[in-house]
Amino acid sequence: MTTTVPERPAKPTSPRSQSQFGVAWSQFRKNRLAKIGGFMLILLYTLALFAPFIAPDGLSNYSTSNITRFHPPTPIHIRDPQTGGLTRPFVYQYGQQLNMDTFVNEYKPTETRCPIFFGVRGDEYRVLGLFPGTLHLFGTGAENPNCKVYLFGGEALGRDLFTRTIYASQISLTIGVGAVLISTVIGLLMGAMAAFFGGIADTLIMRFVEVLAAIPSLFLLILLRSVFPQDINPIFALYMILGLLAFIGWGGLARVVRGQMMSVREQDFVSAAQALGAGNGRIMWRHMLPTMTTYIIVTLSLSIPGYILLESGLSFLGIGAVEPYVSWGGLLSQAQEGGFASITQRPWVLIPGFFIVFTVMCYQLLGDGLRDAFDPRKRQ
Amino acid sequence: MIPFLLRRLVQSIPTLLLASLLIFFVIQLAPGDFLTPAKLNPNISSEQLAALERNFGLDRPAWQQYLLWMGNMFKGDFGLSFQYQQPVLDIIWPRILNSLYLAVMSLVLFYSIAIPLGVYGAVRQNSPGDNAINVVLYFLLGFPSFFLALIVIYFILQLRNATGLDIPIGGMTSNNFDELPVFGQMLDVLKHLIIPALVLAISDAAGLTRVIRGQMLEVMRSDYVRTARAKGVSERTAIWKHTFRNAILPIVAGIGGLLPALISGVGFLEVVFAYPGITPMLLTAIGTQDLYLIAGFTVITTVLLIVGNVISDILLAVVDPRVKVA
Repeated sequence: MTTTVPERPAKPTSPRSQSQFGVAWSQFRKNRLAKIGGFMLILLYTLALFAPFIAPDGLSNYSTSNITRFHPPTPIHIRDPQTGGLTRPFVYQYGQQLNMDTFVNEYKPTETRCPIFFGVRGDEYRVLGLFPGTLHLFGTGAENPNCKVYLFGGEALGRDLFTRTIYASQISLTIGVGAVLISTVIGLLMGAMAAFFGGIADTLIMRFVEVLAAIPSLFLLILLRSVFPQDINPIFALYMILGLLAFIGWGGLARVVRGQMMSVREQDFVSAAQALGAGNGRIMWRHMLPTMTTYIIVTLSLSIPGYILLESGLSFLGIGAVEPYVSWGGLLSQAQEGGFASITQRPWVLIPGFFIVFTVMCYQLLGDGLRDAFDPRKRQ
Repeated sequence: MIPFLLRRLVQSIPTLLLASLLIFFVIQLAPGDFLTPAKLNPNISSEQLAALERNFGLDRPAWQQYLLWMGNMFKGDFGLSFQYQQPVLDIIWPRILNSLYLAVMSLVLFYSIAIPLGVYGAVRQNSPGDNAINVVLYFLLGFPSFFLALIVIYFILQLRNATGLDIPIGGMTSNNFDELPVFGQMLDVLKHLIIPALVLAISDAAGLTRVIRGQMLEVMRSDYVRTARAKGVSERTAIWKHTFRNAILPIVAGIGGLLPALISGVGFLEVVFAYPGITPMLLTAIGTQDLYLIAGFTVITTVLLIVGNVISDILLAVVDPRVKVA
């Protein structure tokens, strides 16, 4: 007698219900511009993460004997000028000469060629402060220390501007985003507290928000910066600017959160949670704040560009990152050195600015894409 | 309307007081006190120091110091700038006026750029012109104003070198300012103002143009505009009288909130164009720890902003008659 194993009934393929995020994600994937923005941002952050490897030089390397102040960019040649054939890429070494008519030091390419090697050993660094390395993506090696690649030219102390720009991306890309995150947390907390406790807490917090909004943000930042000494520890300066940016920016969000919480507070699910004996903190974090998730994601991504611009502005004014660290805005302040009339002699100092523009554009595309993805009226 | 304005004015007093309290508190946090830089200055005698200490009540508890500082400010005494050895108000007032000129000029240009572009974008929605404007403005949103200004300076310098045209790009006045007649002086200042103001207006215009376009589109679809069209008003009246006046209400209401950002934005351009405004002086004041100067600037601009808010309320009452009743 044989027994047959009863065939398993096929699982009923119920239509999978999509979560809110699932819908948003599929909408987002249809938006090509937003995807490009997101992809470029991933690229930028990878670049920043491996900055020490990509940069041919160290963050603050400059020679005190061979002064290369505002060295012009060195074009990379791949053809031998004599034979016209392809060779290993090389740059010419530049020599300096005082122009006796204008008394300006002029850089001229000499005949010396510096071949460019890929994967050279050079300055020591640590990726993420953990993994040591000496390998650099490209460089001229250690044979002739005076012969260097200046992809974007040199800056005021003769340091390689490309290296500085790549290193600066680490600061420019993190401080703005970090400040937005922190100020969002503060805004959520303050708004939720104002709505939940009401009474004096509400009045105090909302008054404070009003005061913060009444003082021009730039002046408030300058005022707050003056609290710290001028010769501040460079690392501490980064945290300081992060904190200051986060401090001045949470007001708007707190107002919106408060309004939303006030209306949610009266709803049945909050009363139910209260009746079940949930504590204040639990009701706030688990029941009330999640109603704002979409709004927060969208405002977060849309306010990042503003913060990146503000950070670059502060660094431009000299109240941001301190030497040896620098951000893109700080690099731009070199355009001002020696009066603006001299900017025509060194237009390459404007290059870091285009990195700011590019990053902000990417964040805008991403933010607009997210906003449309979460907006039910714009579903396709 | 008067009670409405009075109410707004009274409401702004606590904000102002709290702002001054915040500013005072921040200054208290700073290392040392107002006199620390002065004590290092050999030009200030010990009698002067003692007099200052008495004047500012530095030997008293903090809350009394605050009241004293506030009291002095009501009398128009903002303290003494240690860097310039002069009363703060005398030094900062001309600077504040300069910044205001730039801010007003840029505000005028800002609206005269954003309004036509926004209305055009709504009236000719999705036309090639509208799309082109949107793309350009979107691109401009990414530019920090100071970077845009640096690029403009670069091109103007190139233009100057190429053509020999004398386009003023720095400062507020030409070298021969004192020799010019009064009208010429005004024209000279105006010539210096126009480029920074234009740069600021253009770099800010993107946001407002989008808002106006969106508002216009929304109002254009409303019933009363359709009714107006149906009863046969001209296209121009339908757009400007029926749609535009309603579309700008939220914008007029928002002018007051825009002012702090405007003053900050002006600051960056002042630095780039070496314009004798508030921000360049504030930045040097940080370096020299001239705290009364910093506090004075911050307090006065905050007062001015609150005045600006009242003006924007008046404007709103003019544009929207419903406000007067409420």
